[in-house]
Amino acid sequence: MNNAALADPIPDTPVLRFASHNFEPLPSGALFWRARQTLLVADLHFEKMASFARRGQMLPPYDTAMTLTRLEADLRRTGATTLLSLGDTFHRVDASSLLTNSDRMRLDAIVDAVDCIWLSGNHDPLPHAIGGTCLPELELDGLLFAHEPAKGRNGLISGHLHPAARVAINGRSTRRPCFVHDNRLMILPAYGSSTGAINILSPAFFGLFHLPALEVTMLGRDRLYPVPVKRLVGG
Amino acid sequence: MAKTPNLPPIIASWFAARTWSPRRHQLDVLASYQSGASQLLIAPTGAGKTLAGFLPTLADLVDGRFDGLHTLYISPLKALAVDVQRNLSTPIAEMGLPIRVEARTGDTSAAKRARQRVKPPQVLLTTPEQLALLISHPHAELMFGSLRRVVLDELHALVTSKRGDLLALGLARLAALAPDMRITALSATVARPDLLADWIARPLPSRNTELLRMQGGAPPELAILETEQRLPWAGHSAAYARPELYDIIKRHKTTLLFVNTRSQAEMLFQGLWDINEDMLPIALHHGSLSVEQRRKVEAAMASGKLKAVVCTSTLDLGIDWGDVDLVVQVGAPKGSSRMLQRIGRANHRLDDPSKALLVPSNRFEVLECEAAVEAVAEGHQDSEDPQPGGYDVLAQHVLGMACAEPFHADDLYAEITRAWPYRDLPRAQFDRVLDFVATGGYALRAYERYARLRRTPEGKWRIAHPQVAQQYRLNIGTIVEEPMVRVRLVRSRSEKQGRTTGPIGAGGRVLGEMEEYFFGTLSIGDTFAFGGEIVAFEGMKDNEAFVSRAYAKDPKIPSYYGGKFPLSTYLAERVRRIMDSPADWSRLPDQVADWLRLQRDFSVLPRRDSLLVETFPRGTHNYLVCYPFEGRLAHQTLGMLLTRRLERMRARPLGFVASEYALAIWGLGDLSALIRTDRLSLDELFSQDMLGDDLEAWLDESALMKRTFRNCAIIAGLIERRHPGKEKTGRQITMSSDLIYDVLYQHEPDHILIQATRHDAARGLLDIERLGHMLARIRSHIVHKPLTQISPLAVPVMLDIGKEPIFGEGRESAMADAAEELLKEAVGEH
Repeated sequence: MNNAALADPIPDTPVLRFASHNFEPLPSGALFWRARQTLLVADLHFEKMASFARRGQMLPPYDTAMTLTRLEADLRRTGATTLLSLGDTFHRVDASSLLTNSDRMRLDAIVDAVDCIWLSGNHDPLPHAIGGTCLPELELDGLLFAHEPAKGRNGLISGHLHPAARVAINGRSTRRPCFVHDNRLMILPAYGSSTGAINILSPAFFGLFHLPALEVTMLGRDRLYPVPVKRLVGG
Repeated sequence: MAKTPNLPPIIASWFAARTWSPRRHQLDVLASYQSGASQLLIAPTGAGKTLAGFLPTLADLVDGRFDGLHTLYISPLKALAVDVQRNLSTPIAEMGLPIRVEARTGDTSAAKRARQRVKPPQVLLTTPEQLALLISHPHAELMFGSLRRVVLDELHALVTSKRGDLLALGLARLAALAPDMRITALSATVARPDLLADWIARPLPSRNTELLRMQGGAPPELAILETEQRLPWAGHSAAYARPELYDIIKRHKTTLLFVNTRSQAEMLFQGLWDINEDMLPIALHHGSLSVEQRRKVEAAMASGKLKAVVCTSTLDLGIDWGDVDLVVQVGAPKGSSRMLQRIGRANHRLDDPSKALLVPSNRFEVLECEAAVEAVAEGHQDSEDPQPGGYDVLAQHVLGMACAEPFHADDLYAEITRAWPYRDLPRAQFDRVLDFVATGGYALRAYERYARLRRTPEGKWRIAHPQVAQQYRLNIGTIVEEPMVRVRLVRSRSEKQGRTTGPIGAGGRVLGEMEEYFFGTLSIGDTFAFGGEIVAFEGMKDNEAFVSRAYAKDPKIPSYYGGKFPLSTYLAERVRRIMDSPADWSRLPDQVADWLRLQRDFSVLPRRDSLLVETFPRGTHNYLVCYPFEGRLAHQTLGMLLTRRLERMRARPLGFVASEYALAIWGLGDLSALIRTDRLSLDELFSQDMLGDDLEAWLDESALMKRTFRNCAIIAGLIERRHPGKEKTGRQITMSSDLIYDVLYQHEPDHILIQATRHDAARGLLDIERLGHMLARIRSHIVHKPLTQISPLAVPVMLDIGKEPIFGEGRESAMADAAEELLKEAVGEH
């Protein structure tokens, strides 16, 4: 086969089959939609640590740079031509003005290189002053992309909840961010370097998923781990 | 001492009326104080130390003409402050002295605390944290300007901790506010009393300090339990000794049974009650039990109602109870100074010997107990020396001083270097800490506009706004609690009809609290010991863990996470010496001596100045067992680093387990063959350069490093403490310290807080310092013994496999196993 680099799935990457589409999850927490050459990310929360500094907690001002480094690498690795961010790109409405010069230049370079679609989130409900397209939500190929998950709309891909799973087996347990879907609703893990995560067994997720169809894929350091739901625990 | 103190007649006649006379050391302190000096008094507990500490105050205040705060008493425990208040009130009342004595702790009402600042009592009893709070108030000089004396109680327990750093900084400020003040410090016996004397002298303008020792007291009687039972190879429960211990408890008036961990306390307590046919009042005391429960036990103890208490280090310090006639140490004693202090909890009548019994819980511990008995007989002290102060504590103090009043950096630096732990602090480091307090101290200067400290026109540093002071006061202190969850007893789900999957019922009795991370390792249905019973884990909800009664004999999950105290270097050296001297084995129990002889015949004995490494196959794996005797923490770090290197050398390691004495690593590669054919060099494997790149690579992801960082970040004020009742604020408000560590370590590994974390980790959870010394000691002194099967000495650590947490399999092994299971399900293997 020619053009192998584009046609082959990323090695060691499970394919997530969701609502009749194929997606390739990455260990970084991004989701690659090969058919549309689109990289999906959720909850970047740029400038989150700087937002804490305003209140006197001088957290390290490097989280945005770290998130950008991973984003640049994922765009390079997948060759995506579109970046679709599912909301909460910035931690605060006015946070784009807080960007350091160097971070701003890197973000501008991404906007120049690929088509960027920024969906609005609860942290950044208003359009930002950076390039690309700001939208409340997006419908494409029978799928709906929006920040907040909801029940009852088939083919919804969202973020917002920062899902994590804890798997316990053979006396050990590990907690990591995860992709989770039931073939109707998919929630992406939070991508930002400064984002925490909530266990998918906690009340925030109650009622969202059809449990018998639940599929959970946890993020490892260099690979992904699809895990059985019966091995999940709280905490 | 030749000086004669001036004892006012009213005090002398009070003694006379009771046909007492002041003890020599009490008069020595008074004479020394009256000559204008400060004192360090080294004396065992129960030697009338309270009166020794306060006699100078009573003598100064008999005439009732002194107005304002005269004496500040600082102890590590608020219970001690309250107890001293009671002990002082009696003589003061009986002498009819016009002296107001008040305690000030976290429990003191806000109104009373405010009044204490405006109109202080003559004697104020408090803790290092309260002192830090008091000196951070504007106009602290109004309260402390009159101060003549500071009495420091149990100083040995404070100086080796960050609370000691905070106290030293507080004293440096106090000495500036009250140039006339003198210090009287009370301490148990320590290895280096000269360092402690210097510690109190440094802040004082005259540095005039005398070292006083209380002589006398009968030497303690210390013995090892002579058992009829078989000594276990491994484990920490000492279950074999329970019937013998029970008989011993019966024969004594009151017995204190010390153990090293909470779960050991749980197991021993439960084991004793299992055989408690006479229903003796035996109680349990450890840090996870609810405060009310602990206070109840303490009260019952004080009133002589208890026959025995099983306890952890929570009772190492504290108020005296006179009726304890036996101290039992179950499990390894860890260090001779620690042992001596625990023995000191028995029999506070000075001229009778204290009696103590050591109960080893396995064969290695017999050697450690033997070493401790020798060391105690020789009176050898191996207490830790005070260390250079932490940057995190310094940051907290710098902010506190800005809250008090604007300062010139030069002046504050000069004052801080009068605090012993910071005496060698370079100015450049001080400036970095100051920069951290002001704007976070980042190379990328992103936060100037949010600065917490700003410069005044005349160049002084001041707080940017009043909220900074409020935040500071909420964050004060150096004790950082692990995140805890409440443990609540509920009915088992399986008891209910039809194995419900619904939510767990709320309500139920609170058994106590336990570290949150423990529950991260449990699956629903796992059993463990807590609050004196075996319980089954039912689930978590918010900040509560639900458990049910399990009616099981043995818990499935051993919650033994080792003690906080590693085996002291000194005792380790003695243990190695005992092993290396077969002539002395006759003193050991036959079972233990036979075990060592077997090792000598079958393999070789570890020598004093070398490292024995055994390799052997067993089952489908190959094992490497070495015997550094450097304590579990150093061994864990060594295990992490060795498995990384073995992986690179293609020896395919799978995991390891560390004990206090040994480290066992297992894997797929045939280690004996790799070494024989020179494809693996042990000298290279154990070379000191593992503390370079390998250590760096591991620190990047080490969970222990992250826990250490969390403590430093909270103390330094980078992240806020979780306050009871405020912790459920959601992910937007609290920021995980792990994330902050990841970001900071990758971008600014030289940041002042990473430096502070490394410093702590080197001596704390990672014990890198000790590992470094060990690697230097054994360099080119490695003795390799390839074996065809397990050696006698390897048996204990091999038995720990599966009981102790396993490291080194990679943190993703749980996910990998689960993913494999899913795959098997998918292809229909289930």
